[in-house]
Amino acid sequence: MLESLYKRKKTSRFDVLFYIVMGIFVILGLRLFAMQVLEGGYYQAKAEGNRLRMVPMTAARGVMYDRNGQILVGSRPAYTISIMPNGKPLDEDELAKLAKLLNKKPEDIQKKVNDHKHGYEPIRIANDISMDVVTSIEEHRHELPGVSIDVEPLRYYPYETMAAQLFGYVGEVSEEELAEIKAQNPNTTVGAGSILGRAGLEKLYDSVLRGIDGGKQLEVDASGRPVAEVDRKHTVPGSNIHLTIDVNVQKAAEEAVKKQLDILRSSGATGAAVVALDPNTGAVLAMVSAPEFNPNWFAKGITNTQWNQLNNDKNHPFENKVIAGEYPPGSPFKIVTGTAALDLKKVTPDEMIFDSGKHWLIDKRNAEGEALGWLNFNQALAKSDNVYFYEMGNRLGIENIDLYARYFGLGEKTGINLVGEAAGNVASPEYKRKVFDQDWYLGETFDAAIGQSFHLATPLQMAVLLSQVANGGIRYQPYVVSRVDNPDGTPAEIFGPKNLGVLPVPKNIMDLIREGLRDVTNEGGTAGALFKGFPIAVAGKTGTAENAHGRDHGWFVAYAPYDKPQIVVVALVEQGGFGAGSAGPIVRDILSAYFKVPDATKKTTDTKKSNTKNNQQNIKPSVKE
Amino acid sequence: MLQRIWRDCDWTIITCTLLLVAIGVVAIGSATHINQTGLHFSTLVAKQLIFFVINVALVIAIQFLDYHKLKDWANGIYILTILMLLAVIFVGTSALGAQRWIQLGPITIQPSEFSKLLMIICMAKMLESRFNKLDTFKSLIVPVLYVGFPILLVFMQPDLGTSLVYMAIFIGMLFISGIRLRLIRIIATVGVFLMPLAWFILKDYQKKRILVFMNPDIDPFGSGYHIIQSKIAIGSGTIFGKGLFNGTQSQLNFLPENHTDFIFSVIGEELGFIGCIIVLILLFMLIYRSIKVAYTCNDRFGMLLATGIGSMLCFEVLVNAGMTMGIMPVTGIPLPFISYGVSALTTNMISIGILLNISMQRTKYIF
Repeated sequence: MLESLYKRKKTSRFDVLFYIVMGIFVILGLRLFAMQVLEGGYYQAKAEGNRLRMVPMTAARGVMYDRNGQILVGSRPAYTISIMPNGKPLDEDELAKLAKLLNKKPEDIQKKVNDHKHGYEPIRIANDISMDVVTSIEEHRHELPGVSIDVEPLRYYPYETMAAQLFGYVGEVSEEELAEIKAQNPNTTVGAGSILGRAGLEKLYDSVLRGIDGGKQLEVDASGRPVAEVDRKHTVPGSNIHLTIDVNVQKAAEEAVKKQLDILRSSGATGAAVVALDPNTGAVLAMVSAPEFNPNWFAKGITNTQWNQLNNDKNHPFENKVIAGEYPPGSPFKIVTGTAALDLKKVTPDEMIFDSGKHWLIDKRNAEGEALGWLNFNQALAKSDNVYFYEMGNRLGIENIDLYARYFGLGEKTGINLVGEAAGNVASPEYKRKVFDQDWYLGETFDAAIGQSFHLATPLQMAVLLSQVANGGIRYQPYVVSRVDNPDGTPAEIFGPKNLGVLPVPKNIMDLIREGLRDVTNEGGTAGALFKGFPIAVAGKTGTAENAHGRDHGWFVAYAPYDKPQIVVVALVEQGGFGAGSAGPIVRDILSAYFKVPDATKKTTDTKKSNTKNNQQNIKPSVKE
Repeated sequence: MLQRIWRDCDWTIITCTLLLVAIGVVAIGSATHINQTGLHFSTLVAKQLIFFVINVALVIAIQFLDYHKLKDWANGIYILTILMLLAVIFVGTSALGAQRWIQLGPITIQPSEFSKLLMIICMAKMLESRFNKLDTFKSLIVPVLYVGFPILLVFMQPDLGTSLVYMAIFIGMLFISGIRLRLIRIIATVGVFLMPLAWFILKDYQKKRILVFMNPDIDPFGSGYHIIQSKIAIGSGTIFGKGLFNGTQSQLNFLPENHTDFIFSVIGEELGFIGCIIVLILLFMLIYRSIKVAYTCNDRFGMLLATGIGSMLCFEVLVNAGMTMGIMPVTGIPLPFISYGVSALTTNMISIGILLNISMQRTKYIF
């Protein structure tokens, strides 16, 4: 009896124990089922996120060629250092080591990593690392598991600051921009780390130049070290564009501007703009705006010091003064006034007008107060006599000046395919009424006749104006991109001359203007001294434009050869003073380079090196040509 | 003699044990990247295998003994256990904030592992004489002090996990010893109310483990990292697993300590639900057999021994597998027969040897 009681008790306790064990295993089994069968997909995605990293590969941007196929803007291979995020905070040791090797502050690297919160894409820490640093990082590879070294095409501007505002610059897309781009176009090929054009042609032709970034899918271990490549999407390089720029003319223009600004900076010159056009097509041969910047700084990732230096420069290094700078046109505007006066028969070429130093109706004088006496049209233009042209203004009236200024394309954008072009302004009573709500005075007509008053023009507009004089009156739209390629190198789009209108002025009148301009560079003209001995016949016009904000701006506009124009060059030196002295030498140097005229200064340096006689013998025939 | 052993021994236990160790060795190999080129043959796999062979010999040797002899040695074993645990506290090497190992030549042994089995023997001896007499609190005083002292020593190492295993074993054996259920109810109620007090005697890292267990996301890169990565490993294995040696979580080191405490996660990831369920079924069969051995055993000492062994294995499986799946806090308790660790393997194998011995003697008496 006792025994059976004991037995029952024993049995039930073992049963309980068994059911407890059973219960534990059922719970474990159910939990397994829930995690692996029901929620398996969720955990699978997490595991994939752990191990897979998409590493973008930047496509090489398209090349910009000059008109002769020289590379103006290209790419070169560069080492970049990235950190592969592994979902954990950065290891302090690793950070300190990397910072030391890269000669950077750990905080700066930490900041870059912190800024890059989303996603598992590698974070680019440094661009364009020198071979030494790459080697030392390679040596410490095992201590830096999450650091990867990649070779990426880096945008490269071989001529450094050349035409910086025209070419523009590039930069890595920011997270905010990326979000915006993706919101606008969900199918965009722009991804994290993509390089975008930021200014100039880089920006305007970004979609052509950029190409399609690729990427490789890497498997990484827990420390972020890549273990294997899982998949790869190849990059599609960007397409090339061909510019109308002639690198030799551009180089000469850059050098001339630099030389001249070095001389004039001490006397207050703040910048310069130079443009050279082919007057027969409107193709831009050179475009310089100073001060400039070095787009390579941006390609490598600009430092704070560099950025502050550029950003705090009050002379606006980012502004393309050729298209965006609006200046009073000054004396070169006398071409407009003169054309109008002759065309409307307000004066005959032979009529002599007496310059007593001031106009007889209103006391307005020549710039330096000089009196040039009796002058015909040709002399007045060559010597840039203000009194003569005050009288032309007096005879024409502001409406006619206005009309002809617009015939020449002033007051409206040339329509060149660049961003940020300014329209300038043509002085008119309507303009004054609108802006200042004041009446128009005759004195202002006088000022307008010599390119002052409310006239404003960009150097490019002046180049177009002079092109019309040079080519007989056709207003070509200036253009700087002649061809856009397909990815395979075949032309996708070709740009040529575009006729915007013809100046309604007979040839004989244009001849008179051209002759006047020709005499500017002859002895007795305002640029006679400058072009003394120059082997090519140059037609030009000096200008010293009064500037309400500082010293006078110096203009020089010219085309050559006089009889068969091939090139128009316009130079403006901001606050450079006399046009003949400031802008003139720039134009002369460019023309020298274009026509391969031996430079006077170069000759002396050459003679120092070699036999004087030989040299002169070598040069003389070419001068005759 | 050998023939008799062959005929009478419990083949279910042997088969389950062999399969579990085999799965364990393969999983350790995978967890230590044995398959990857450029890496030398995993010394851990070799060690585990060598000790397995030694243990098989031990298990066979045990069959030539009579487990009743253990009863005579129990007092000596108790003293030995206490000395061993003291040795750990004074000369042990510490790892991960806990002092658990004693260096013995080329191997480190973990006395707390062996002490579990030794304590089962001692408790069996101690409870045998009190069988069905545990109906007052007074009658519990001696057993509680007897077991409480080694538990305290283990807790001081500190090894919360092992001290919990002691308690689980003790409770299991008390239960089978016929303790009055009213006592259990009272102890359980008081225990629940005293639980918050336990908080104050826990070390900081132990408190953190419990906090993190409640919410792994409070420290996803620190102590929560194990739990998060382990759950990802198991969950991502889905039904069939990613295949042996193909678990990204374990092969790419996202899963730390994956050959010891988190071996179940490796199995979950690489062999999937199927693999895990097979492992759980094998473990369940073993525990079921140990309960059955206890149930059918004719003497109380053997019954308590088998119960203790079953309780130990069951609690270890619950805590370890539960930990890898995020339903138990992280403690350093290995998965029996599968986790790498020669001390644990040896302890478990000897336990199996004793189980077999008990089961065989039972048969002998019956026939």
